[in-house]
Amino acid sequence: MNQYQVIVGLEVHVELKTATKLFCSCSAAFGGEPNTHTCPVCLGMPGVLPVINQEAIRLATRSALALNCTVRAVSKFDRKQYFYPDLPKAYQISQYDQPLGEYGWVTIRGADGAAKKIGVRRVHVEEDAGKLNHLGQRLGDATGSLVDLNRAGVPLIEIVSDPDLRSAEEARLYLTELRAVLSYLDISDLRMEEGSMRCDANVSLRPADFQGNLEDLPRVEIKNVNSIRNVQRGIEYEVARQRELLAAGERIVKETRGFDDATGKTYSQRSKEEANDYRYFPEPDLPPLVLDPQWIADMKRGLPALPDAIRANLIDRGMPEKDAEVLVLDREAYEYWQQATALFQDERLVTNWMLSDLSRLINARGESFANSRVRPEGLVALLGLIQSGTLSGRMAKEVLEAMFETGQSASQVVKDRGLSQITDASAIQSIVDQVLKDNPAVVQDYLSGKEKALAFLVGQVMKQTRGQAKPDLVNQLLKDSIQKDYAPSQD
Amino acid sequence: MELSDREILHVARLARLRLTADELEPLRQDLNRVLDYVSQLQSLDLAGVEPTLHAAADQAPLRKDIETASLSVAEATKNGPKVEQHMFLVPRIMEGGSDDE
Amino acid sequence: MTSKKPLWDHDAHSLHDLFCEGAASAEEIVTSHLERIRSADSSVGAFLYVDEAGALEEARRQDRWSAVERRERPLAGVPVALKDNIVAQGMPTTAGSKILGEFRSPYDATVVVKLKQAGAMIVGKTNLDEFAMGSSTEHSALAETRNPWDVSRVPGGSSGGSAAAVAAQMVPLALGSDTGGSIRQPASYCGIVGMKPTYGRVSRYGLIAFASSLDQIGPMTRSIRDARLLYEVIKGADAHDSTALALGEERTVSQGPWRIGVPREYFGEGMEAGVRQVTEAALERLRSMGHELVEISLPHTPYAIAAYYLIAPAEASSNLSRYDGVRYGMRAEGRDLVTMYEKTRDEGFGAEVKRRILLGTHALSAGYYDAYYLTAQKVRTLIRQDFDYAFREVDFIVTPTTPDVAFRRGERDDDPIKMYLGDVYTVTANLAGIPGLSIPAGLADGLPVGLQWLAPRLGDLSLFDAAATLETQLEPMVWPMGVDE
Ligand SMILES: [Mg+2]
Ligand SMILES: [Zn+2]
Repeated sequence: MNQYQVIVGLEVHVELKTATKLFCSCSAAFGGEPNTHTCPVCLGMPGVLPVINQEAIRLATRSALALNCTVRAVSKFDRKQYFYPDLPKAYQISQYDQPLGEYGWVTIRGADGAAKKIGVRRVHVEEDAGKLNHLGQRLGDATGSLVDLNRAGVPLIEIVSDPDLRSAEEARLYLTELRAVLSYLDISDLRMEEGSMRCDANVSLRPADFQGNLEDLPRVEIKNVNSIRNVQRGIEYEVARQRELLAAGERIVKETRGFDDATGKTYSQRSKEEANDYRYFPEPDLPPLVLDPQWIADMKRGLPALPDAIRANLIDRGMPEKDAEVLVLDREAYEYWQQATALFQDERLVTNWMLSDLSRLINARGESFANSRVRPEGLVALLGLIQSGTLSGRMAKEVLEAMFETGQSASQVVKDRGLSQITDASAIQSIVDQVLKDNPAVVQDYLSGKEKALAFLVGQVMKQTRGQAKPDLVNQLLKDSIQKDYAPSQD
Repeated sequence: MELSDREILHVARLARLRLTADELEPLRQDLNRVLDYVSQLQSLDLAGVEPTLHAAADQAPLRKDIETASLSVAEATKNGPKVEQHMFLVPRIMEGGSDDE
Repeated sequence: MTSKKPLWDHDAHSLHDLFCEGAASAEEIVTSHLERIRSADSSVGAFLYVDEAGALEEARRQDRWSAVERRERPLAGVPVALKDNIVAQGMPTTAGSKILGEFRSPYDATVVVKLKQAGAMIVGKTNLDEFAMGSSTEHSALAETRNPWDVSRVPGGSSGGSAAAVAAQMVPLALGSDTGGSIRQPASYCGIVGMKPTYGRVSRYGLIAFASSLDQIGPMTRSIRDARLLYEVIKGADAHDSTALALGEERTVSQGPWRIGVPREYFGEGMEAGVRQVTEAALERLRSMGHELVEISLPHTPYAIAAYYLIAPAEASSNLSRYDGVRYGMRAEGRDLVTMYEKTRDEGFGAEVKRRILLGTHALSAGYYDAYYLTAQKVRTLIRQDFDYAFREVDFIVTPTTPDVAFRRGERDDDPIKMYLGDVYTVTANLAGIPGLSIPAGLADGLPVGLQWLAPRLGDLSLFDAAATLETQLEPMVWPMGVDE
């Protein structure tokens, strides 16, 4: 039986976070009542012409540079032509043979930690289409569709990878990393559910003996999947489906398939014979897009720290790789971490508290580090109380939960609940004395070498102090008192 | 390069024009006469000649990202042949296209 | 006494002066032109839409202006017509096609904004070949327009309605659009002045696109001074048109004498004898005025029509895709989307438009782009270069505007190539992006003959200046449906 290699390439569309659309001055904001963000230009009225939004170009350039692309000083726009009711002019203004950015890459790291560069073939600028609301359960049995053009003309970048991905898992890693990189640029909301980030996956299987161009393999395009997880599932399904077909001696047909979230299966959307012929040609209404090379260079210099550099830096500072990975993939968490560590010396303590207890609370609530009520200053104040010994770790967890729920400061919670840790030896000494007096047998056990006996005694003291005594201190006082009052004299 | 009926129908399909049998014959003649006429361009030596892709300005102006008022939804949809719920109504979409009439 | 002739017999300058001096009210001016339209247009058929109420309302508004307010606006008190592929807010726009249905534009074209700011009173919209595709205005789906000089003949096209309206003195000024000669050719056929500006000099925003890289809006008038006046009002950069040129330096030229290029390729076979006679007489006049006539060569001229008939249909096929029955215009019902698209476009577009859409779609389709569109754009570069070289030698180029005079209606229905070849002297200016001006040079067998002046890019104003010196030397134009003596 023939051996096959999985070949995956991804096309990712990202809506840019501009105030206005790509070619007109209508609002690019998500949502809005149908057709309220429209004008003659984005309605494709007779006689209208496009004028490029400079902010879209700035954000696209930033993205291309962050993905290690070479940015063209001169690029151009082209018309991609097809009829569909969500495309008012019946052509999309896009970039065909001279895209804004080319020859970039994204580095992914597998479970084994080995880095792999995935080529970014191109990053180009184009306009989004409108939205169709189908009258019926699904497209197949809809009686008609209603066209809302609020989205029509919103700026997009399309990021096309090389066919370098060899598994559904690599596709997941690529998308996760790509999303992380873009998140640091502040160029998009990157919400896959809302469609501000969308992914199409091209999947083919290469026979072991195939020597030709990968582009010539029969390829299936899975369109518009709405989460990274579903991209992975769709590819997994598609690989299995194609393997089965090939094993049965059948051929793979080039086609577009959709992904059904509920069943985890892909299904045929457009047959092969409806081959697209987009009749691209240079947009005569737009002269070339010319960027000053100095501006591009400045833009590159002005890029923020990106995941690769951040990850390396964190690991350099001694952070476990796993923690660094979690932190770097969530820009808000990383920024939170930066703010906290700017205020607090013990980075490890910050990391631990963020990635365990605070993370758990945030995830349980479906919140994020950016909108959590516990701000970095608040967390740091709490950690300060741990460090000073005012709170035990266990008490601190309780305080953190209260802070998270109420939005109160750590000190306020401690005060309200009378929680502060007793660190004054004289305050505990009498309890220690009493516990020793009440448990002579346990004291004897300890003296006879049973270390566990001490834990029991510590527990008794903690109980009587309602947990507020500092455990190390209790430990020390018990040992000292036993030594002083109960141990047989040495002489 | 003569265009066949099949090619003309393909092009018509791309352009969303439906041609009837009696339109096809004269169109094929006209199109082929024009294509025959323009084929004289093939005799020119165009090696090293840059195409004129843009007629005048050599650089697109860039617009500031400042919102201006959109049309009212009534204005935006007033020319619509069929409008429902402030949206343009289109007939059902059959993937792969329609069947012939 | 000028005041005795009817107001419609005045040119724009004169009307504006009468209005500023208070010798005529705007309402009188508009009323006079509306009456003229009523009497003359039944035989000419220039207008698709006349906005009597709107024009009168605007006139009454202007009549309340002070003398200063009138003087500030160069077209105050002047009626103007728009070719019906230029949108004006609230007015119907048809582009001479059925497919636009009842469309009323929600916005003004930039030229309309400028006209209104200049005080022009827009009286209506004129007929044209459907989507400006044609040279006779016979390809309008909506009306027939006849040549005022001889109603059995075509007015030329595609701006035939504007040309006929101006020639028959229904308006002193009209706008046309010129993609391959669509202003200059009908101007020539109707004996008026028509000018295609340098590409990018006048905003195309609000002009229904035919071939985006070739289209320009320009003035159509009865005198060069009026053409210049209208050009000055509509020209200039536009934030809505990325191809509109910033207002830079206008190219100027000395008072002369000039070196005037006469391209040998434009005087070959195919030119009617009467046209040759009038043209040669005009050239002789220029020589006698002291200018030097220089025979030049524009060697790629024979390829211009072929390049044009690939580039223009290709762009048109794309520009006309938006007429799909979804957001505006006509819709033919169909049981599914594709059927609706195809029926709408089948019923909505006329034969010539379909022919060009098919040709253009083919020229851009997979496997043909390089051989057709790209090749044509390379030939275009050679044609531009021809002019670049020529204008190193000469200040202006003078040619006939068309090889013929207005032909009879119905005469050229059957042969697209023959029809296309009529554009042979005019398309080169569109391909090269240079300005071209057609002025009436005389009559051949009682029909007007136009003389075309070409200048380098941005030489628009010098073109008016130069041609104006000749205008004064020629027999004054007599208007075809003029005032009876
Ligand atoms: Mg795309
Ligand atoms: Zn808009």
